[in-house]
Amino acid sequence: MIKENCKLAIISIKANKMRAFLTMLGIIIGVAAVIAIMTVGNSMTAGVQKQMESYGVKNISVSIEQIDYSQELSEADEENMKLSPETIHSLVKRFDKQIDAISIDSSIGSGTILVNNNKVQVEATGVSAGFFKANNIKLVSGNFFNEIDYSQGNNVAIVSEKFAKQVAGENYKPEDVLGKDYEVNINDEYLNIKVAGIYEYNQAGGNSRSKSTPMYMPIASAWNFSHDKDIYYITVVASESTDPVQFSNDLKTFLTEKLTTQLSDKFMVSVYSNQSMIEENTKMMNQMTMAISLIAAIALIVGGIGVMNIMTVSITERTREIGTRKALGAPDGMIMLQFISEAIILCLIGGIIGIIIGLILGDVASHIMGYAPHVSMASIYMSVGFSMAIGTFFGYSPAKHAANMNPIDALRYE
Amino acid sequence: MSNDILLSARDIRKSYYIGTPNELEILHGIDLDVRRGEFVSIVGQSGSGKSTLMNILGILDRQTSGTYTLDGVDISQAPNKDLSSLRNKHIGFVFQTYNLIARTDAIANVEMPMLYAGVSPKERRQRAIELLEMVGMKERMHHTPDELSGGQKQRVAIARAMANDPDIILADEPTGALDSGTGRLVMDIFHELHEKQGKTIVLITHSNELAAETPRIITISDGNIISERNNDGKGVA
Ligand SMILES: Nc1ncnc2c1ncn2[C@@H]1O[C@H](COP(=O)(O)OP(=O)(O)O)[C@@H](O)[C@H]1O
Ligand SMILES: [Mg+2]
Repeated sequence: MIKENCKLAIISIKANKMRAFLTMLGIIIGVAAVIAIMTVGNSMTAGVQKQMESYGVKNISVSIEQIDYSQELSEADEENMKLSPETIHSLVKRFDKQIDAISIDSSIGSGTILVNNNKVQVEATGVSAGFFKANNIKLVSGNFFNEIDYSQGNNVAIVSEKFAKQVAGENYKPEDVLGKDYEVNINDEYLNIKVAGIYEYNQAGGNSRSKSTPMYMPIASAWNFSHDKDIYYITVVASESTDPVQFSNDLKTFLTEKLTTQLSDKFMVSVYSNQSMIEENTKMMNQMTMAISLIAAIALIVGGIGVMNIMTVSITERTREIGTRKALGAPDGMIMLQFISEAIILCLIGGIIGIIIGLILGDVASHIMGYAPHVSMASIYMSVGFSMAIGTFFGYSPAKHAANMNPIDALRYE
Repeated sequence: MSNDILLSARDIRKSYYIGTPNELEILHGIDLDVRRGEFVSIVGQSGSGKSTLMNILGILDRQTSGTYTLDGVDISQAPNKDLSSLRNKHIGFVFQTYNLIARTDAIANVEMPMLYAGVSPKERRQRAIELLEMVGMKERMHHTPDELSGGQKQRVAIARAMANDPDIILADEPTGALDSGTGRLVMDIFHELHEKQGKTIVLITHSNELAAETPRIITISDGNIISERNNDGKGVA
C-alpha cells in the first residue's frame, strides 16, 4: 500500500514538475540554509578549537589591565601595570604544584641579517624556558637553551627552519646553521648570536607569506640588549592534573589580594585561560548557529505553508478523481494516505535537493573562510526528519478534506 | 440464470433541501427488484431522476426514506465507514464521462478496484490484462486516458468495473458521450457480459432505442416508475 501510494504521488508530482519545484522551493531554501549554516558553524568551531588547542589548552595569560581605558595614565601609573619579578616568584611559590611552566616573552625588535648579500629577516624575541612549552615549539635539530644561557643571558638563539633555509638553502644540513654566528641588525644596533637550535616551522600556523620568522633568545639576553626588563604579561602553563578554568580563578584571587596597593582603583588583574576562551567561543558559535537556524526554520515553515497551499489546489483539481476512487471503493483512510504521502514525498525531494545544495554551499563557504569543512550529520538527519514532519503536518488538513469529500459531490464537480 | 433477488428497493424517496424551507423531492417512492443475471434498463427523460436512483443503488448516496437491500445486506443500516468496501465488493460503475484516473495508464486504472480490495500485485496485473483483453484493449494497456479515444476509454472503464467481479454493473448513460458506432461497440460488450458471463447489469439511458435492446425495461418519469415491461425478442436498433 505504501509503495502504491508513493508511486501515485510520484506520478502526480511528475505530472506537474514546474509547480512541484516551485512548491519545494521553500523547503529547498530552508533545508539548504540549515545544512550550510550548520556546516560552516561546525567547521568554524572545529577550526577555532584546533587553533586554540595548538596554543595550549592549559595556558593561562596573566596581566594587569586598566579598569577604565578612557583614563589617561601618568608615568607612575604605567609603572603599576608591570608584573614585578617578585610577584612572579610569589606566584610560583604559592602554586608550585599547579604550575607546569611560566612563559615570559619580550620583543627585542625586527632584525636583519646579511648573508651572501641576502637580507634575511627575523623577529627577535627574548623568552623564558617555559615559552617553548606554552607555545608548543619543537626542535628539529640542536638544543634548547641551558640554565647558564638563561642565567647569564648568553647570546644564543633558536631559529626557524625557514630561517635555516633562507641562510643555507632549501636542502641545508643542520651543521650548516647550528653553532654558526650571525650578526643581527636591530635598528642599527648589532647583536651577535650563535645558533643553538632550529625549530619546526609550521607554515599554516604563522603568516606563511611573511619573510620574517621569530628568532628566540634567552630573556636575560634580551634584557641585556635593550636595557629594559619590563614584564607586562606572563603565560602560566597549568600542570596536567589542574583544571585551568578553576586555576585561573585562584590566580586572580591571589594576585588581586597580593597587589592591592599596586592596583589601587585604576587597575585589575586580568586572567584568561585558553580553555575558557575555547568554551566561550564554542558557546558563541552555538548561539550563532541556533539564531541563524531559527531563521532557516521560519523559511521551512513558510515552505510548509506553500506545500499546504499547493496540496489544496491539487486536491481541488482532482476532486473528480477523488470521487472516482471513492466510487471504486477507496476507503477514506486510503485517500488520506495518498495525499499525505504526496505531501511527504514532495517535502522529502525538496529536503534532499536542499541537503545537496546546503552541503555544497557549506563546503565552499568553509573553504573560503579558511576552515576544513566539517559536515554536521545531525543536521542532515534533522533536515530529513523535519521535511517529513512538515509534509505530514501541512499535508494533513488538505488530505483530511479530500478524505471527507462526499463521493457524489466529488463526481459531479466540474 | 438463477432467480434469486440481488437488489431490492422499497419505497425509495430522495429529497434535496435547496435552502429552507424548500424541500424538493426527486424520487417519489421507487419499488424495484433486480434478480441475479438480469440485464435491466432504466429509461427516462433527462432530469427524471435516473442518476439519483443509480447513486442510491450504487451506495454512493443514501435515500431519504425507504429501504434498500443488496445481496441480503440492508444498506440503510450499514455504517458510513462500510460503504466504500460494499461498493468495492458488489458494484462496478460505468459513467457517461468514463472517469478514468488521469495520467494513470489503462492497466493501472483497471487494477485500482483490486488495489483497494487488497489483491496482491501479481494477481491484479494478471486479471487486469485478462479484462483488457476481453474488451479488446490489451494492446493499449500502457496508454494513459489522454492517449485514448472516447470509445477506448469506455472499454477500459468497463474492464475496470469488472475488476472485482462485482454482483452488479451500474452503467449511467455509458454511450451518452460516444458516436453511434463506438456506442454500438460498448453496447455489444454489455450484451456479451450479460450473455456469456451472466453479469447483472443495470443500464441507465434516456434513449428508448438502447433500452429496447435489454430484456427488461423500466421507464421512469419525474421520479416515479411509470411502466415496467419484459422485452421478449431482443430488439435491435
Ligand atoms: N444535489 C442536488 N441538489 C438539488 N437538486 C438536485 C441535486 N442532484 C440532482 N438534483 C435534481 O434532481 C433531478 C434529477 O436529476 P438526475 O437524477 O441527475 O436526472 P437524470 O439522471 O435522470 O437526468 C434534477 O432535476 C436535478 O436538478
Ligand atoms: Mg443522469
